[in-house]
Amino acid sequence: MAIAMDFDQEGILRSSLNGEVSILNPVLSTDNISSAVEGAIFNGLITFNEKLEVIPELAASWQASKDGKTWTFNLRRDVFWHDGRPFTSEDVVFTYNAILNPKVNSVRRSDYIINGQPIKFKALDKYTVQAVLPVPFAPFLVRMGMGIVPKHLLGGKDLNTASFNRRPVGTGPFIFKEWTSGDHVTVVRNPKYFLGAPKLAGIKYKMIADDNSQLVALEADEIDEAGIPPKDYERMKKKAGIKVYDYDVLLYIYLGFNLANPKFADLRVRQALAYATDKKQLVDLIFKGLASPASAPTAPISWAYNSNVPKYEYNPERAKKLLKEAGVNSLEFTILVNQGNKEREKAAVILQQQYKKVGVNVKVRVMEWSALLKIVNAPKDPKEFEAVIMGWSLGLDPDAYSIWHSSQYPAGFNFVKYSNKKVDRLLDQGRLTTDKNERKKIYAKIWQEIAADQPYIFLWYPKALTGIRDRVGGLSKPGPAGLFVHLEKVFIRNAQVRP
Amino acid sequence: MRKFVLNRLLQIIPLLLGISLLSFLVTRLAPGDPTALFIDPNIDPLELARVRANWGLDQPIFIQYLVWLKNALLLDFGRSYTTGLPVITEIGERLPMTLLLMISSFILTLLITIPVGVISAVKKNSWFDNLFTFISFAGMAIPTFWLGLMLMLVFSVKLHWLPAVGNLALPLITMTIGSLAGLTRYQRGAMLEVLNQEYIRVARAKGLPERVVIFKHALRNALLPTITILGLSLPDLFGGAFVIETIFAWPGMGRLGVQAIFQRNYPTIMGIVMLSAILIIVGNLLADIAYAIVDPRIRYEKK
Repeated sequence: MAIAMDFDQEGILRSSLNGEVSILNPVLSTDNISSAVEGAIFNGLITFNEKLEVIPELAASWQASKDGKTWTFNLRRDVFWHDGRPFTSEDVVFTYNAILNPKVNSVRRSDYIINGQPIKFKALDKYTVQAVLPVPFAPFLVRMGMGIVPKHLLGGKDLNTASFNRRPVGTGPFIFKEWTSGDHVTVVRNPKYFLGAPKLAGIKYKMIADDNSQLVALEADEIDEAGIPPKDYERMKKKAGIKVYDYDVLLYIYLGFNLANPKFADLRVRQALAYATDKKQLVDLIFKGLASPASAPTAPISWAYNSNVPKYEYNPERAKKLLKEAGVNSLEFTILVNQGNKEREKAAVILQQQYKKVGVNVKVRVMEWSALLKIVNAPKDPKEFEAVIMGWSLGLDPDAYSIWHSSQYPAGFNFVKYSNKKVDRLLDQGRLTTDKNERKKIYAKIWQEIAADQPYIFLWYPKALTGIRDRVGGLSKPGPAGLFVHLEKVFIRNAQVRP
Repeated sequence: MRKFVLNRLLQIIPLLLGISLLSFLVTRLAPGDPTALFIDPNIDPLELARVRANWGLDQPIFIQYLVWLKNALLLDFGRSYTTGLPVITEIGERLPMTLLLMISSFILTLLITIPVGVISAVKKNSWFDNLFTFISFAGMAIPTFWLGLMLMLVFSVKLHWLPAVGNLALPLITMTIGSLAGLTRYQRGAMLEVLNQEYIRVARAKGLPERVVIFKHALRNALLPTITILGLSLPDLFGGAFVIETIFAWPGMGRLGVQAIFQRNYPTIMGIVMLSAILIIVGNLLADIAYAIVDPRIRYEKK
């Protein structure tokens, strides 16, 4: 044969990232672009399946003590680091202690501090780890998915500046191979992976920051995978060679009111605006059906979702009446939106039209993201911030303490200054209760209270849209966890991969 | 000549100090801070304060500047907040890619500008001149990002001739078209002006062949404005690189800068600003020297 076939090149998944990888160390990374690559290289004690249920990964099993404070994890004994060293309980303890070390610039530290006290991690033997919590804490287990890093390579080093962060060594299905700054990261298959050798030869993550360019690269068959903006959905669906998937994600978009601002202090004003909001028109105009109207601070795919909340169905007459009752003759306010988010910019303009029908004048101010956050998070004067369109990406646990608890203002994420004693109490209770059915009831009550108060008008639940080239197989069932839940099972059709 | 160069070099020091102070203040006064982007409800704001303090951002801004300046004088520009790498290393990985793009575009621009400008001037109002007049105006009017995307759609999606991302060809073409537009106009104008000078008429009257008149007598003088414009257009090239690198996923310093600005990654922003300032100053200095070489009348500051 004249041309030697490079089988390994053939079985490479050409993935794309919507920005730059900054650091490949799960303890330190803060952006979801770096996390996407880390997912191929590292493992956590637990992970999540397609339905976002907790499943074992590095831990084969675990038990919680009766009082819910002591958790024991039994580790797998067949796991090796990519450099050949065995993985042990020392690595787990090292990783969590690194996160808890105040000198390490990890913003994840607060995940492992409960009521001001850190969780204590201890290696009982080579393959058993114990975590002791100060109090029972329901969201604990889902936080055990943190990628574990090797003690033998990082012990005694300054984690913030370690060269490891650029040449990571993990236990995952793929081994780090190269990283060209700003261009791509390549990983190759780990034939000894404990859940079975991957079917791909490797993955090349190409960094393409611009959405349009990413789409062009997908169309030009230079990458296998890209996010699809809603406006391009129909067009891409018709393209030969590309399959477009849409699936629900744990996210909601809202219009938040600054309750510290006298304009929105009266509940009737917020209710009036809720009645004046035609959510169906909003999602039809912007997403053409690829999103659904929202009504509560949760998402339909969350296990704690409950649709039994006050909904304020579109009713402009009712809105006018409520404004009159509240003694508001003329209302004018500014909605802030972040620049570059086309959907939210459109939503602000549509809301402007809708509110005009009930005599409310809205100005739209488009701002750069950091600048917007500054105004919303720490306004010098409550009058500076009136309303904002933003979204919350939800954790796997329904705990929403830092968004809604009255103690989380001003230092916290309750930047609209929501305060409801009943909600405070329920939020505290929700964290301490470990029984899932009990918790479900608690959160249903919380959503009802919040929806009645309308500190936010819940606008829509978005969908993720992803385009994948036909040659890629072995995807997981589309769902909130994405399409690559079992990375080791993904393959390229007709490609032969050397064993 | 040596004194001239030395003088110019000495002027650079206060200039750089001024640039550093100004850009330090501007980046810090921009609303937001590097931890503001972590709006994850699971993150306790106290943790953000701790990380900010680890970075020294809890100090008064003037102290922060002095610390930065002291380190910068020792060529230590700090570490990037996002990657933990020294800023010098981070930029060092990316600068060659930006220079490759800029320098090749620069050379390509010169190779096209000079002949096109000369022919357009000599054959004023010919079809050739009109064609390039049209192309120049189109090139000036079309925004870079749009031109880039169109080139991608035509050459990558439709024709499959060139890769859309991570290849030099398309960003080079886009960048060159952008800078070509104005420059050919300048070259044509300068050439026309020189061709109307009396000494050209004298040269022609002496019976010199037209080729010698144009290339030896006219072009040399008509190059002066082009050199100036080229020197002055360096900042534009940098600005253009920011956009072009983002569109074509070209791993250069421009994209690093764009990302650093959005992330308020202060050390990286400062490193890139200072390096760009130095490159632009050096570019202008070289233009001045080239000027002095081409035209002996220009040796400034001679008493």
